[in-house]
Amino acid sequence: MKSFFKEDLKSSIVLYLVALPLCLGIALASKAPIISGVIAGIVGGIVVGLLSGSNTSVSGPAAGLTIIVITGLKDLPDYQAFLLAVVLAGGFQFLLSQLKAGVLGDFIPGAVISGMLVSIGLLLVLKQIPHALGYDFDFEGDEEFLQEDGKNTFSEIYYAFIELNWGAFLIAVLSMFVLIGWGSEKLNKYGFFRLIPSQLIVVLLGIGINAIYISYFPDIALKGFHLSDVPKIDAETLAGWSFPDFSQIGNPMVWKLAITMAFVASIETLLSIQAGDKIDNYNRITPPNRELFAQGIGNISSGFLGGLPITSVIVRTSANVNAGARTKWSSIFHGVLLLMSVLVLTPFINLVPKAALAAILIHVGYKLSKPSIFKDEYKKKFNRFLPFIITILAILLTDLLIGVIVGILVSLCFILVSNYKTSVMLYEDHGNFLLRFNKDVSFLNKKNIKKLLGTIPDNSKLLIDSTKADFVDIDIIEAVDDFIEAAPNRNIKISVKTTATKPQSLFKSI
Amino acid sequence: MEIISKIFLENKAWAADKTNKDREYFNKLALIQEPDFLWIGCSDSRVPANEITNTEPGEMFVHRNIANVVDLNDINLMSVMQYAVEYLKVKHIIVCGHYGCGGIKAAMTKDSFGKMDIWLKKIKDVYIQYQSIVDEIDNEENRLKKMVELNVMAGVQKIQTAELIQSHADVTVHGWVYDLRDGILHRVAGG
Repeated sequence: MKSFFKEDLKSSIVLYLVALPLCLGIALASKAPIISGVIAGIVGGIVVGLLSGSNTSVSGPAAGLTIIVITGLKDLPDYQAFLLAVVLAGGFQFLLSQLKAGVLGDFIPGAVISGMLVSIGLLLVLKQIPHALGYDFDFEGDEEFLQEDGKNTFSEIYYAFIELNWGAFLIAVLSMFVLIGWGSEKLNKYGFFRLIPSQLIVVLLGIGINAIYISYFPDIALKGFHLSDVPKIDAETLAGWSFPDFSQIGNPMVWKLAITMAFVASIETLLSIQAGDKIDNYNRITPPNRELFAQGIGNISSGFLGGLPITSVIVRTSANVNAGARTKWSSIFHGVLLLMSVLVLTPFINLVPKAALAAILIHVGYKLSKPSIFKDEYKKKFNRFLPFIITILAILLTDLLIGVIVGILVSLCFILVSNYKTSVMLYEDHGNFLLRFNKDVSFLNKKNIKKLLGTIPDNSKLLIDSTKADFVDIDIIEAVDDFIEAAPNRNIKISVKTTATKPQSLFKSI
Repeated sequence: MEIISKIFLENKAWAADKTNKDREYFNKLALIQEPDFLWIGCSDSRVPANEITNTEPGEMFVHRNIANVVDLNDINLMSVMQYAVEYLKVKHIIVCGHYGCGGIKAAMTKDSFGKMDIWLKKIKDVYIQYQSIVDEIDNEENRLKKMVELNVMAGVQKIQTAELIQSHADVTVHGWVYDLRDGILHRVAGG
């Protein structure tokens, strides 16, 4: 409890301020009732938070699911049928947790996880720059390169500069100064700067500056969609609140959507907890099957309550860690705050300029993607650096899921290439040659073996050693046998290495 | 291919593999020798100290003779031990015998093997010391196995009483037997 008041309460407030506009933005982008995003955020914080074994991960509605939600809503008769699919998706995730499918997360290469974190950081910076400049047209939390409105990540920034909103720009710049200065060693000597999180100051600063604008410089004052626009909970919004329609249980489209959502949400969750564990300051490891279980119960609850589907979200998780969260109570209490905000906090929240929130997210994004991370990765081997860079590019130009798959494929290629290089070796000493097979020698190596054998000059001696190979393909044996048969014509004397434990030669000609 | 040419060729391949994996491998190895163990084993070609313990060059200081005999008057062994303890600062001395040892078997016969008899006499001394235990066993194979273990135990005891080891309290002496048939090491004395 002591640590809660010392660290987790503060981080949960910051997390809440960041998460609320994201919840609303994603509901908006998903073309779902606005309240459904907040419900998913509340359930993601409280229900998943309580059940999860992670101390860093924060769950809620995710950008990665918006496309699926939009198509799902088109294919289904109404939103109630969609909610049933969310409940069923949660049931599938529960099944996956019982089947111990969580171990799949451990098969993602480290280079891909690193690349994923960096690209999320870059995305945050790039996608939030327009908001920092007061260009608040794209929805909060968008992670796609191509936006709904036909613009893309870069053209959005271009338009933002052209139509620069000086009021927002000034708030964002001042906020950035506070965020960077707050962490400096000079200020950290004073207890005050350690006690109050900089992100909170930024929010208050944003509200304060805008108040000054309103009084003295009404021309640049931020209003309407430049501020957090949490809808008032009134009869109208409550009318949009709905619950799952179980009469749709026989609709195959409901099942199809449920399976798709369960699959994608589980992958996003596993990626996110891997990322959360990597940036955790205390190096804790999240049990993946317990996480799938928590997510399953979370989606069942969210669906029942009329909320969007939930996953663990990397952006929220890193904002949480960045704000100094120590335990999962940060995530749980951010859920409580979301719940309270629907009931009472709305008038206050609607004073917060989006430019101030953009500054917070850009700061998080910078920390995830700062140049020193590239430098560290560059120092490692080439076969780690290349998948890292390719993952980043692929995520930036497509989306998270496709980018990660591309990264994994590139890593696999490197394994194949490294196996290819070392599985057949040719050595030479004073005109004596040794052809050695290591590990697995498959038909893929045939061309290489023929090339190596071709380099052996006439009148030399060759020793072939297959005693260190675990597997030699029949194609390879045939190719070597052909060479052995032709060898007398070139006066190459061949012997095959055998050992006390491997007295049999693989090759028929000797 | 001539058998000696093969050795040179294999050596070149081995060195190439090491440098392929780690360009600095030999530079690093050439600079320091800091083994943790002194291995006193049998010369038998089927009991290579590094292979069966999966240790790398630089990790084990090795002395091998027929039947891993420990004799405190053997100037060869005593020099190895002194160098290992005083200069290399090894903390573990391992005496390792193996079942199916030809030296033990030869020593347990009444046959003469020429000059080797002088060496085998040291094993016969162990037999005489523990004759009552060994003679109780009727099965020939089990009797030889027991002798292998007793030979290791006797070796461990002798090292423990050596002045050099008495003055180095931080050195532990281990007595092990290696089984040729399954490749497993067994603790039989010391440590």
